Amino acid sequence: MGNEALARGAVEAGVALASGYPGTPSSEIGNTFARVAKELGIHFEWSANEKVALEVAFGASMVGQRAICSMKHVGVNVALDILNAITLRGVKGGLVLVSTDDPSQHSSRTEQDNRWLGRHNDVPIMEPSSPQEAKGLTKYAFELSECVKLPVMIRTVTRLSHMRSDVELGEMQRLDREPVFDWEGFSYRVAGFEKLFRRHEERHGKIDSVQEIFEESGLNELKLEGEERIGVIGVGFAFTYVKDALEHLGVEDRVAWLKLVTTHPMPERLVARLVEHVDTLLIAEEVDPFIELHVKALAKDVNPDLKVLGRMNGFIPREGELSHEVVDSRVAELTGVKMPPEARDSLEEAKGDLLFDRMLTMCAGCPHRSTIYALKKAVQAVKGDLMNVVVNGDIGCYGLAHAPPMEFEDTYFCMGASIGVSQGMQRFGIDTIAWIGDGTFFHAGIPALQNAVHNKAPIKVVVADNQAIAMTGFQTNPQLGRTATGDVVEPIMIEDIARASGVKHVEVIDPYDLEATEEAFKSMLDFDGVAMVIARRECAMVAVRNMRPERPPVYIVDQEACIGCKQCLNTYGCPALMWNEDEGKASIDTTLCMGCTSCAQVCPVGAIHRRDDA
Amino acid sequence: MKSFKVVISGVGGQGTLLASRLLAESAINAGLHVKIGETYGMAQRGGPVMGHIQIGGTANNPQIRKMEADVLVGFEPAEAARRGVTYLKDDGLALVNKRVTAPVEVISGMVPYPEMGELMGLLGKVTDRLVAFDATSLAEEAGDPIATNVVMLGALTESGELPFGEETMLYTLRDSLRPRFLELNMRAFDLGKEAYREVAS
Repeated sequence: MGNEALARGAVEAGVALASGYPGTPSSEIGNTFARVAKELGIHFEWSANEKVALEVAFGASMVGQRAICSMKHVGVNVALDILNAITLRGVKGGLVLVSTDDPSQHSSRTEQDNRWLGRHNDVPIMEPSSPQEAKGLTKYAFELSECVKLPVMIRTVTRLSHMRSDVELGEMQRLDREPVFDWEGFSYRVAGFEKLFRRHEERHGKIDSVQEIFEESGLNELKLEGEERIGVIGVGFAFTYVKDALEHLGVEDRVAWLKLVTTHPMPERLVARLVEHVDTLLIAEEVDPFIELHVKALAKDVNPDLKVLGRMNGFIPREGELSHEVVDSRVAELTGVKMPPEARDSLEEAKGDLLFDRMLTMCAGCPHRSTIYALKKAVQAVKGDLMNVVVNGDIGCYGLAHAPPMEFEDTYFCMGASIGVSQGMQRFGIDTIAWIGDGTFFHAGIPALQNAVHNKAPIKVVVADNQAIAMTGFQTNPQLGRTATGDVVEPIMIEDIARASGVKHVEVIDPYDLEATEEAFKSMLDFDGVAMVIARRECAMVAVRNMRPERPPVYIVDQEACIGCKQCLNTYGCPALMWNEDEGKASIDTTLCMGCTSCAQVCPVGAIHRRDDA
Repeated sequence: MKSFKVVISGVGGQGTLLASRLLAESAINAGLHVKIGETYGMAQRGGPVMGHIQIGGTANNPQIRKMEADVLVGFEPAEAARRGVTYLKDDGLALVNKRVTAPVEVISGMVPYPEMGELMGLLGKVTDRLVAFDATSLAEEAGDPIATNVVMLGALTESGELPFGEETMLYTLRDSLRPRFLELNMRAFDLGKEAYREVAS
């Protein structure tokens, strides 16, 4: 897998410390380290958030160690403050930042292009196009980082991070460098404040030197035979679409191409060789016209008549990831090759009419569903109407509370924002509920909660505590009492943090007890001041996994007793519930049911119960 | 060599990703190059999941072009129709698990689940080679519905379409699966093979 190859590249470079925060599509980088770190003598941690993760990695770098830090694209927003400081100050041990971008937002709220963030801070950027290259570039990135004393960004996209292929491995190495703080490089006491403080000019010098290195690096590949009038630049992973399109359409001999791996600083002399040679140049990149803009600036000097086609003029759609369809058709248009007509248009249309979308939903037995169900009942009882509160959600599985049939969540923005935005609304008398998960609370919820107490914003906070960072694959958080690599540590409890932060009403309940949960929410809503309920129950997926090889107890709908009211389906809506149209009765899919008992509590006639023999 | 292309489609939690991986590892064990492109975001949350597997060939990109897959392995009838119509080549082989996994739209009564005949009819317009059976029942018979993926791999192996033999697939299963679940999975694999023989004949 692309992500595993990135981790392997770091191990081959002798990395001593790896850190990160999980987030699709980056998580498998850390998961890989979590599996192998102990055995290889590497420190790996899931840090509290991305900023902390990068700070930890930078600390290791300042004492001469090689360190890698991985995160999804929006994570770099969180880490940006320290990233800016690192680039001005420089590094000692090689420091590699992996940003996994998510064009087309497969699992993100934005498709932001982090190359701008790298450029913004003079961070050299390299973009691999295969898992093999991801491994090689990561290894090289450590050498480059130590050579120019800048952190280096490896930027991937979802399709590469999640791509699997056979990869040829190199030797793993351990450097065992003696940890020594670089006093001259970083200490105000030793090097002096003036020397360390104003470094913008020095940073410019470094990034210029990287450009020289990239010009001659051999990492990029130019195919220019002499007769071509058309050129294509395939940037990073986008190169794979370009190369395959040229072959698919049989136009390889008529089109010059450049595979561009080192995207910041762009190797201008190399790119100029193509720019000055052709009449038309197509730029294929994801997502923004990052290289395209630079090529246009370059063309002004070396080939002002060059026709540049790409994202800026909409020749390639301005949003979204690339596809064979997009790149094939654009290359065909440029080269005058006729594409076969879409043969299955009418069949696709018939399919569209017949099929549902398959919306995402919480899993069978998910404790969040039970929590939301009880919360709705409590809000109805206390506030009189579900629309009398704004539910500000957060990032995690529980964010699916907006989906049917629960439909009880109004907003979610970014990690921890639920608690912050609720305060601004509450200030003007709009009642709110901040709906946040355990992992997210630790990531960015704590300062916001303390702000509510300190500034007297009487918000109500519900923590959907499923004892895991479930959405990204069950990574650890500080409450779990064990680290990413399995060490047992003192758990930090959310209720202790809340109480220590001055929250006067804190209750911990089990959401599988619907009645008790509803009562807890009612007292929370009635409380005058900041109040919190922690709905704590292990993620259903983990619970089922831990039961194996046993299967969960079997629950059934008593077909005699079921009155066909559909309350279980329409108000609770667990995916393990089924409706039998012919009989007019509900039933339970025992392959999905995990025996949480919630639907049995929802049924108004007590028709759902454990099978006697189970 | 021309690449051999498989599209696997299903629903989050069905074990489709493991099926792609086992297929790819088998290819590597047979000395072939392999590429997998996977589409899953919040896959475990009941969303659609798709895997593209290319064995051999010179492609750089892991995605398979429309109407070029040699085989469709559909873990759920609606998802099989969704991807088969788009990706399966004319007269390619479609292996379909007939067990329905209803989406939340259906459970909460917003839309009906399409008739099985209509779903299979869509695939029938792409290919005559449609092999459909209840793989999840067979997995339950083997001991755990989660082994549906290995039932499907058994059927795929039995089809003889793969560019490597049954021994390679069995070697991968023994090598990759947890020992305590191996016996169960071997039963599932055999049931998948039998099902293919019965339905295809």
